[in-house]
Amino acid sequence: MIRADIVKTYKTVHTWTGITCGFALFIAFYAGALTMFQEQIARWAAPPAVGVAAVSLDDVPRLLELVAVAHPEAREEGITLHLRGHENEPARVTWEEDEPHEAGKPHGHVHWWATLQPDGALLAKQEEPSKLAEFINDIHMRVGIPKPWGFYFMGMVSLLYGVALIAGVIVLLPSLAKDFLALRVGHNLKRMWLDAHNVVGVAALPFHLVIAVTATAWGFGGPLWSAQESVIFGGKQKIAMARDLERWRAPKPTGEAGEMMPPAQLLQRLRDQVPNFEPKVMVLRNFGDKAAAVKFAGAEHGYVGDTRFGGVILSAVTGQLLKDNRASRQDPDRRVGTTILALHTGEYGGSTITWAYFFLGLSGAWLFYSGNLLWIETRRKKARQGGGAGQPRSARLLGSATVGVCLGCVAGLSITIVAAKWLHGRVADLNHWHGLIYYAVFLGSVVWAFAWGAARSAVHLLRLCAAATLAIPLTTLAALLFPALGLWAHGSAAAIGVDAVAFIGALCLAWMARATARRVGHGPADSVWSAQPPRVAA
Amino acid sequence: MARQIRPDWWSKASAGAILGLGLALSLVGLYAYLGPGGIDAPGGRYALMRHLEAFVWIAVFGLCFLFRSGRSAWVWLGAANLIAFAVLFACRFHFFA
Repeated sequence: MIRADIVKTYKTVHTWTGITCGFALFIAFYAGALTMFQEQIARWAAPPAVGVAAVSLDDVPRLLELVAVAHPEAREEGITLHLRGHENEPARVTWEEDEPHEAGKPHGHVHWWATLQPDGALLAKQEEPSKLAEFINDIHMRVGIPKPWGFYFMGMVSLLYGVALIAGVIVLLPSLAKDFLALRVGHNLKRMWLDAHNVVGVAALPFHLVIAVTATAWGFGGPLWSAQESVIFGGKQKIAMARDLERWRAPKPTGEAGEMMPPAQLLQRLRDQVPNFEPKVMVLRNFGDKAAAVKFAGAEHGYVGDTRFGGVILSAVTGQLLKDNRASRQDPDRRVGTTILALHTGEYGGSTITWAYFFLGLSGAWLFYSGNLLWIETRRKKARQGGGAGQPRSARLLGSATVGVCLGCVAGLSITIVAAKWLHGRVADLNHWHGLIYYAVFLGSVVWAFAWGAARSAVHLLRLCAAATLAIPLTTLAALLFPALGLWAHGSAAAIGVDAVAFIGALCLAWMARATARRVGHGPADSVWSAQPPRVAA
Repeated sequence: MARQIRPDWWSKASAGAILGLGLALSLVGLYAYLGPGGIDAPGGRYALMRHLEAFVWIAVFGLCFLFRSGRSAWVWLGAANLIAFAVLFACRFHFFA
């Protein structure tokens, strides 16, 4: 049995860590839920392109030779050969080139793609791909605050979120048997919300613990690395790291020419030497050189979280296995580290886990929203006991902030997704516009929520969220009905899935808008959730 | 019944945040030296260490409110830090002599 004074202390800890971090965590969880379908969103947003199928695997050697002659820089940077034919793969081969810059200075990159024309000539074009999916991931990681401060901020938030989890469990433990899974639906609304908050929190606790630990580690990644270097390794970490990086690097070019093995044959050599490995892309380094190498990124069946760092390097001349970093060959520490990473990103177990993480992310966002709501309701009770009508200023301000931040994030992301199709080809730098649109909608919503108060603005903003989200499938529909608009509609299950999920999401938001409007008009008047004038206490 | 714990918000929270980080770095540092493979273990350890540090940091910060007072939190966690760092630096001296 836990003593009452301990429970009371931790109740305060839980309240204050929750209130201070709730906003940032809502954004991180909502955007994080969307990133579970990052690839599908990228495919939905990708404009029509030449595509991978335009050049068959047998014609690739000719394409590669033409690219290597016309764009020598691509040989060094690595030419990516796409294998899957997704809409966001503009052509069979793509590569990056440096922007003009002074030697040794930090610089950006420009993206190129290349294909073969019907007459067999090379067609290469510089075109920046849509960074919409990456933008959503940026919002997820840093809630829209620039590097590196966004990382530090989220590291701090994640640390306090971990503390809030521990505190929440300690508070709930004494009454766990009684309260857990007891959803008391009834007249006591606050009791019902608290029960729901507890069920959702406890049921997803392992998920939340993993997220808190990994997000703290990543948020403070840079400072922790420096601290390790000075405190633990005494300056020797950098040397050991450099040694480790060799495992992932392609060999240096020799300068001597070599004959390249055709990609179809390289894929066969991969299958022979590394069974159970499904490559997504292959990257050719130093094409035409005797020491040319090909790196395969992909997943090994039956292992957790191996899609990013697992990699196999083959010689592009002989097809011999040079470096093998796939999951089953990793040292125990890396395996544990990669597994923890995958438990955050949901990269295991296929689409079931992807969907589970999507809903866990949304339930997490709801957890922080309901936590703020409970805090406000508690203040209402206290105010009533104190004899006053209405809620104190603090509750009104927190109510407005909760509505503005949470719904502003939802509306902002939906509108910026829609903009990927409407603004394509109409503005010079679409990727820049994604940010502008999101911040404008987000900040506008926050201002709106404070100007109109939580109750009225919640109805307005929920309607905005529903309309913005409905615009996602409507845009696709408009593309089908009015080809003159210059929009597009992909027919793949991934792209249609984005429209379908957005449609269902819009329905849910519309239902929430209706329920909120009813509450605002007819609910108890002494609440921030009411637009009725409070009765003056006699 | 034992004496009631005092809230001491700021002194306990600062102890958890600062000494929790110290304990995280020193304990994970000990794992780096004394764990399987020692300090020359393959490179997968660097990424893992950060997650372990975050775990210890959160655990210490989260549980430090159980101390009877802010003073005792600083005393106990400070002592634990001193011992852990002393052993860590002994390891550093021993392995990198």
